[in-house]
Amino acid sequence: MSHAAEQAYLNTRVSMMATRLLAPELVGGLSKMSLQTLAERFGLTALLDDQPSRAARSRAVEQSLLQVLLAELKLLVRPMDAAQRALVLTWGRKFALYNLKTLIRGKLYALDPQEIQAQLFELPEIIRLPHQELFQAENVLELLRQLEAGPYRQIAHQAREVYERQREPFALEAAVDQRYYAEISHRILGFDVHHLDSLRRLMGAELDRVALLWLLRFRFSYRLSPSETYYRLVPSMRLLTSERLLTLVELETAERVIEALPAPLDRLLAQSGTIAEVQQRMGGYSLREIRRVLHQSQSAVARALAYLMLRESDLFLLFAVVQGRLLEFPQRAIEVALELIEPSCSRPDALEPAAQAA
Amino acid sequence: MKHVRLLVLTENLAQASLALAETESFHPDPRPPEDTRLDLTPGHQYREVFTRAQSRLEKIGRLVTLPTPEIEQVRVVEFAELAELNAWLGGLWDEASGYEEDLRRLEDAERLVKEQQASLANFANLDIDLGMLRNKTRFLDFYVGLVPRENLRQLEGAVGLAHHLLHVYMQREETAHVVIVGPTGTEESQLATVLGAAGFQHLPIPRELDREPAELQRDLAAERRAIEKQRGSLHDNLERWSQPFRDRLVEARRTLLLAEPLVTLDPSLRSAGHLAHLVGWVPTHALESLEQRLRDSLNQPFDLRVRDPLPEERKLVPTVPVKSRFLVPFRMLVDQYGVPSYGEVDPTPLFAATFLLMFGMMFGDLGHGAVIALVAWSARRRLPRFYLFGVLAGISSMVFGLLFGSLFGYEEILPALWMSPLHDPILMLQVALGWGIAFILVACLLGIYNRLVTADPWGALFERHGLINLLFYLAFLWGGYRLAAGGEFGTLPALLAVGSLLALAAFQWRELQAPTGERLLVVAIETLDTVIVYVSNTLSFLRVAAFSLNHVALSLAIFTLADMMGSVGHLLTLVLGNLFVLVLEGGIVMIQVMRLQYYEGFSRYFSGDGHRFHPLRLRRGGASS
Repeated sequence: MSHAAEQAYLNTRVSMMATRLLAPELVGGLSKMSLQTLAERFGLTALLDDQPSRAARSRAVEQSLLQVLLAELKLLVRPMDAAQRALVLTWGRKFALYNLKTLIRGKLYALDPQEIQAQLFELPEIIRLPHQELFQAENVLELLRQLEAGPYRQIAHQAREVYERQREPFALEAAVDQRYYAEISHRILGFDVHHLDSLRRLMGAELDRVALLWLLRFRFSYRLSPSETYYRLVPSMRLLTSERLLTLVELETAERVIEALPAPLDRLLAQSGTIAEVQQRMGGYSLREIRRVLHQSQSAVARALAYLMLRESDLFLLFAVVQGRLLEFPQRAIEVALELIEPSCSRPDALEPAAQAA
Repeated sequence: MKHVRLLVLTENLAQASLALAETESFHPDPRPPEDTRLDLTPGHQYREVFTRAQSRLEKIGRLVTLPTPEIEQVRVVEFAELAELNAWLGGLWDEASGYEEDLRRLEDAERLVKEQQASLANFANLDIDLGMLRNKTRFLDFYVGLVPRENLRQLEGAVGLAHHLLHVYMQREETAHVVIVGPTGTEESQLATVLGAAGFQHLPIPRELDREPAELQRDLAAERRAIEKQRGSLHDNLERWSQPFRDRLVEARRTLLLAEPLVTLDPSLRSAGHLAHLVGWVPTHALESLEQRLRDSLNQPFDLRVRDPLPEERKLVPTVPVKSRFLVPFRMLVDQYGVPSYGEVDPTPLFAATFLLMFGMMFGDLGHGAVIALVAWSARRRLPRFYLFGVLAGISSMVFGLLFGSLFGYEEILPALWMSPLHDPILMLQVALGWGIAFILVACLLGIYNRLVTADPWGALFERHGLINLLFYLAFLWGGYRLAAGGEFGTLPALLAVGSLLALAAFQWRELQAPTGERLLVVAIETLDTVIVYVSNTLSFLRVAAFSLNHVALSLAIFTLADMMGSVGHLLTLVLGNLFVLVLEGGIVMIQVMRLQYYEGFSRYFSGDGHRFHPLRLRRGGASS
């Protein structure tokens, strides 16, 4: 069977599902919708349910949006082969890692078990960590010992040593995130030519974004040394490769880092005053790259992953509006939040040709 | 199956849960009650404390071997008792976890010594003064140690940024042995945090490295023995420590077993004030004994209401599985397809009978059947629930072997009670075709019955494999028979076949919600598919005869090969050939029969979208953990 024929089913499914993505004109109108309209328009029955508190309603909505995303993920991985499925599930495992981090923080600060439980996402079997066992751990040390028995044994082992010295969750959480992206990167490199370019383009943009933001934060907000900053980064397979990161971490100011970035990132981020601004512009850049893969790629797995990433962004957007309405934020604050999540293509003129070249 | 609603006083809830568990006939229904006043969850806190206590006991049980006690006296475990037990287990686990941590530290230490041994074996070939690696020099820093391999690449870059060099001198499994060297100075502190983040573990370089390698290895081996001794003494200490609590720990396990039914019921429990509400499903025959049991156990009044399942609840009603030990292995195979929904005919007995008949006919051989039956019988301890499947399949094969007169492929030793398949292949094919037609007709009739029972008369009439579909098949068979008998298809059969197809098409047209073009396309394809499916499904049963012929033909091939050999070769070919037939052909026949069952049978009459009856039970223990 030809490559195109093998991909036909998944490609068709992705194309059909892509019609569910929020149209740009709808995104603009989201911030003006009332809770009632949001609930009716997007089937968010949890919004209308009688919940004891705003927090409970917000949590129920977040949970139901996540269930939508994970149900689509399960649907998409069904026709995939083992390697494709493993990649997409690795991407989806980020929600399990949110839970893991919640557990670690909860145990570290000795939070009430009910409170921790309320913060955990309900996840399907395919991406779930053994939360119940971890949840029953009496303290962080025991939790880390239990983690050492599973796939996170290396992280847990070193984190335990760090924890015994420092008693703070940063090192462990940073290691969990680093391992997450490193695993995605590693899996992508195992694909053949039919998928490799598209996947590199897709996850490369995401890894560029993550690497740059982490670099700026670790180096200039947390004041880590160049070597420690570099160690905690995940090199991208596209623009911010390990060689480039080695040079960037040694620069003394954020402005110099931005100046030294390769095209098109240098132009995109020129005159960014704050890390939040960098985050916003990189978010926009990453979303455009993801859309490009969804619409132009021949690789079904890359398109499926691109769809899920965009869908996650849409649902996140929706959740931001719901939360803004629940907390009765002013209209302007909600609009600012939406702009941060989905920037309305700032400076597209500067970006397009350069992005094509990249 | 009946739906029951039980109202009890909250103080009687634990007792009620035990009574229900003892009857083993109550399947909880977790749907919340319609009455909004019943909004409390009385078992929730109980479950949380139970889960914590059980987790603690399990963790202690990993260090101290505890038997699972028998439950002779059933008694209620009150919340206060459970909370007290949980607190006690918490304190105990605090102490026990210290032992666990010590055991793990010993494991880490042993791992480090093993790495040292491997490292020294590697150093033995070097011609440098390794003693220098142990100390800092005035200008140079040395770090010798282990790092996870997955961190290596990133660490190499990070170390370079701190103006140090990293050299990997050995890699073992997930660990790399490295030497890091660089100038002493300010980068040292930078490097320490990086090494910490990378999970770097210092590898102590023994003093007096200039001694004989064998002597050093002896020291390390002694160190490992010392660790082993420490482990032994730690286990002894653990044993001594646990001795005073052992009986209480066993009692704790018993208490948790007794508390389990109420915990299992938690999702189905609701209450308002002193009144607790509980609903579930009970087999009709068990109702009386359940009510009697509640009456004997509860010291306060209760209210038990019983009703038939509502039509909209049909999907929620659990199905009680067949219990006959002969049918259990076949039920396991049916479960691979699905569980019968409530009211639907359980296909297990029919599946078992038709499976055995088809397997025997396709693999009929007295000798091979006996081998299958004996192998299955000998595996009865390892596969206690499944071995009867093999025994029965073997017996069926033996019976057909007697009918065909086949013994390990020999056709001349046994007189056939009927005939050898190869003597009249056409008759065999006709028998298989007849069998297939009967099989499909029964499957269609069962499908129609299932739809009628589940209150779906339109489905029974017009849906796929419904009555109209059956009419088409009968007309098609009638016309086909006339054709085969040398005549014409016939006007009446043709009218019936076309009429039923048009009726099916009209029904589909009405049901389909789509644009006209799409409707036209779908209806045309579906109608064509109906014709093709019935023709191909009927012909599909020819494989039953084909495999019986195949068995004889394969045996003939083996004998021909054996005859070409000398006496030893002859014997060897016969043994290996029979083994080949048993494993390969037996396996293929098994798959083919399953295929006929699932595709030609189940797809016609079995929805398989039910769920099993899982009654509340009291685990009575008795096995050691």
